Amino acid sequence: MNITISDNWIREFLETPAKPNEIAKYVSLCGPSIERFQKINDDTVYHIEITTNRIDTFSVYGFAREVSAILPRFKIPAKLKPYEINKNPKIEEDLNFTIIGNDKLVKRTMGVVLTDIQNWETPSWMEKRLISSGLRSLNAVVDITNYVMLEVGHPTHAFDYDRISSKKFIIRESKKGETITTFDGKTYQLKGGDIVFDDGDGNIVDLPGIIGTQNSVVTNNTKRVFFFIDNNNPAKIRSTSMSLAIRTLAASINEKGVDPELGEIAIYKGIELFQKICKAKVSSRIFDNYSNPYKERSVRISKNFIDQSLGVKLNKEEISKYLTSLEFKPLWQKDYLLVKIPSFRALDITIPEDLVEEIARIYGYHNLPSKLMSGDLPDPLYKSRFKFEYTVKNIIRAFGGVEIYTLSLVPFNFTDQKALKLTNPLGKETEYLRTSLRLSLIEAYYENKNTAEEFHLFEMANVYLPKNNNLPDEKMQIAGIFCNYNYRKAKGIIESVLKELNIDATFTQKDNKYFQPSKGLMIKNKNDCLGILGILENPELIYYEFDIEKLYKYYKPYTSFKSISKYPPQIEDLTLILPDRTKVGELVQSIKSFNRIISEVEIKDIYQNAYTFRIKYQDPHKTLNDEEIKNLRIKLLHFLKEKYAAILKE
Amino acid sequence: MREEIINTKNQAIAQITETKDLQEIERLRIEYLGRNGKIAYFIKKIKDIKPGERKEIGILINETKNTITKLLASQKNRIKQSIREWFDPTIPGEKIEIGHLHLITQIIEEIAYVFEKIGFIRVRYPEVEWDWFAFGSLNFPKDHPARDEWETFFIDAKPHPLYGNMLLTPHTSSGQVREMLRAKKPPIRMINIAKCYRRQSDISHNPMFHQFEGLVIDKGINITHLKGTLDYFAKATFGENIKTRIRPYHFQFTEPSFEVDFSCTLCQGKGCKLCKEGWLEVGGAGMVHPYVLKAGKIDPKKYTGFAFGWGVERILMMKPNLNIPDLRQIYSTNLEYLKQF
Repeated sequence: MNITISDNWIREFLETPAKPNEIAKYVSLCGPSIERFQKINDDTVYHIEITTNRIDTFSVYGFAREVSAILPRFKIPAKLKPYEINKNPKIEEDLNFTIIGNDKLVKRTMGVVLTDIQNWETPSWMEKRLISSGLRSLNAVVDITNYVMLEVGHPTHAFDYDRISSKKFIIRESKKGETITTFDGKTYQLKGGDIVFDDGDGNIVDLPGIIGTQNSVVTNNTKRVFFFIDNNNPAKIRSTSMSLAIRTLAASINEKGVDPELGEIAIYKGIELFQKICKAKVSSRIFDNYSNPYKERSVRISKNFIDQSLGVKLNKEEISKYLTSLEFKPLWQKDYLLVKIPSFRALDITIPEDLVEEIARIYGYHNLPSKLMSGDLPDPLYKSRFKFEYTVKNIIRAFGGVEIYTLSLVPFNFTDQKALKLTNPLGKETEYLRTSLRLSLIEAYYENKNTAEEFHLFEMANVYLPKNNNLPDEKMQIAGIFCNYNYRKAKGIIESVLKELNIDATFTQKDNKYFQPSKGLMIKNKNDCLGILGILENPELIYYEFDIEKLYKYYKPYTSFKSISKYPPQIEDLTLILPDRTKVGELVQSIKSFNRIISEVEIKDIYQNAYTFRIKYQDPHKTLNDEEIKNLRIKLLHFLKEKYAAILKE
Repeated sequence: MREEIINTKNQAIAQITETKDLQEIERLRIEYLGRNGKIAYFIKKIKDIKPGERKEIGILINETKNTITKLLASQKNRIKQSIREWFDPTIPGEKIEIGHLHLITQIIEEIAYVFEKIGFIRVRYPEVEWDWFAFGSLNFPKDHPARDEWETFFIDAKPHPLYGNMLLTPHTSSGQVREMLRAKKPPIRMINIAKCYRRQSDISHNPMFHQFEGLVIDKGINITHLKGTLDYFAKATFGENIKTRIRPYHFQFTEPSFEVDFSCTLCQGKGCKLCKEGWLEVGGAGMVHPYVLKAGKIDPKKYTGFAFGWGVERILMMKPNLNIPDLRQIYSTNLEYLKQF
């Protein structure tokens, strides 16, 4: 959450010779991060990022306090001025109103009636400051409420006293289905359990801490203002603001837990400004319902714990000094430090670690040494699959594969089985978790479809298979598509990948819903399916998909050594005329298993029906002579003629 | 005559060895060895010599003839060999295409290697996670405003009775408690690199991205060790001149929490368009919150730890001169882009 504050506003509470660039640089090192600062005329505006736990610095005064603690660590003097305020304004009338509180919903309620509003024009100094903080200037009454919020850190509100005819506020929870119309004319239906102000007649006159309603808000005709401060239950504010999607600045502050002690400062500051700018009169007593005021808490921390957490030893005075500069009250009791927590840090500082952070950051993280840890190593034998996955990718890459990363989130038409659905997708295109990589790869093909050359895209990623009452099965797959590839070449690459991984695999023709009839293969190790390969229906691409877990199961990092034969092989090419529809893979297998001395068979060439096979004959025990080869060849050709009607081409 | 033969021989040797072309060799062959050549002339003349000297002159003529013949042959070869065959070694090579590993794969391997060298164990935890691991165990109360920054995608599924809603993990920090429960006992040095998802898409965000999470838990781990680890990673990845710093920040699951900056990898910290006064924001880090240790069944009185979780894409984009303008470009499936790396 970012706040922008002008430099001259901060200096109203901060005495320092520091230049704006010094403030930006040093405060960022030890406190809130100043994202940037820019000079505007004779002022400078800081853009400050405030983290959710430090809503106390989301104000001019709160930020000035941080700056005052940090700058002295960089040898620049800085002093926070006390917030001076008149707590005894002259009360000129006693107009009545009734507030019926509810401690669980609103921790502190304050209100005062201001009458005789004479001026509606915002003075230019105030307008400038509001604009530099990114707010619009509307009229003096509304601007005062915003100005107080930014300066003090507590949101405030102004009602039109005359529009609340009952002069009564009952703080209650909304009922489901009740409606409100906000000051900008939008109507909302409440979910129930929201904090609302009721005028006693069942009319909702405010959505406190979030937004004002049309029926009670000040207008330019307002003569009497009911200036109001409510410190609400932050969880309730959060819930209402999120459910109605009304994210006002007040709601963003209130949901983070504002210090109720600030309420008093805010109301007196508001009164002062109403008197000064609007020439208003204080026309009621100052109502304050604060039944459980902040009781100062303490956190105890040992010197030893501080030293160990920081990795350096600081002396006690130093530690006390840093904490005091942030308005903590530290007290050493031997080697223990008892730290009293100011109200504005009550939610943030609850455990010793929280104090360590305060000490360490003011000391300066940049002043701490840096070193690698010593100590035992965690289980260095821990087994994982990462190296294997990288090996697979590298092999595919070596064969020309180009790796892609596509989004796991896909549209409904990408799912062909039960898939997980998002409740809050960015759009229809990314509504489901994919169960296959296929359509993502095809989409990537379309992006490159005008490429004339062959290309091979692959991806290794999880698919998400839903399970009952449990997280899905996140199955890692490797899948790819070959475009403009000859089928034999593509299949050859897949065969080589498996061979590189030393995985025994058989390719069996098997129809699959993705592939054209007869144009699919199932790749198995014994009876275990590793993956599929085939030609897709549309577009006509060669696609493969493997389950990484299965590949890993059958992967061997190396094979066993086979002794190199002392006896030379004989190699010959045989060209066979094969009848139509011969399954050549099967035929090659038949040749291989025909005789033990046939050690290798490869297809060397294909021309129409003529297939040239290169056959390697080798006997591990002796040199083969021509006669033996000739006899074997005759038998082989006979066998092939019988079984496949294959005829030797003369 | 003897002197005449010797002179002829010397003259022939001189002429032949100086010859650079084959026609000239042929002319010399005819001049010396031809039918009307000098050797033939000496042979004819032999009859005019005194019989007692004939034998000696005969041997000399023969020897001269042999010498000239050999020399002609060898000079002929030499000339032939010296004619260069025309060859263009500068012709562009035939394209042998190797494929390409994606930039994300490359940087993930680099990150993993850097951490594995100092004893970190690489793990991977679910992308589809229960609320408890992604938030609850990390000290995010239900509906806490701090959750807003983790713009989370939720899954339309029945919530777990203990672990709450099913969601897409918005950070690798969801692996912290899983790793504690797996390891059971410190020391823990984890590097968890995985896909994460957030409900955002613009120039610097893709709804799917990658993070790497470091987690170290042991006795006596403190801020100086976190600083040391960051320094080591920065220098190992971007060079020894890179500096690091940590600044205060807030995360629910670390205390203290930090924002980590590296000195700019492009301008070396001088200040440029890419950086903020010489520094680049890298990501968050912090000392593991005792609440989180307890959730992981580790005694916070005995053990302390630190953690950091950063964008893989961020580290990639910080590589000097890579010049990828838009984070979404990283995930393009355009071949022209993919083939560049």
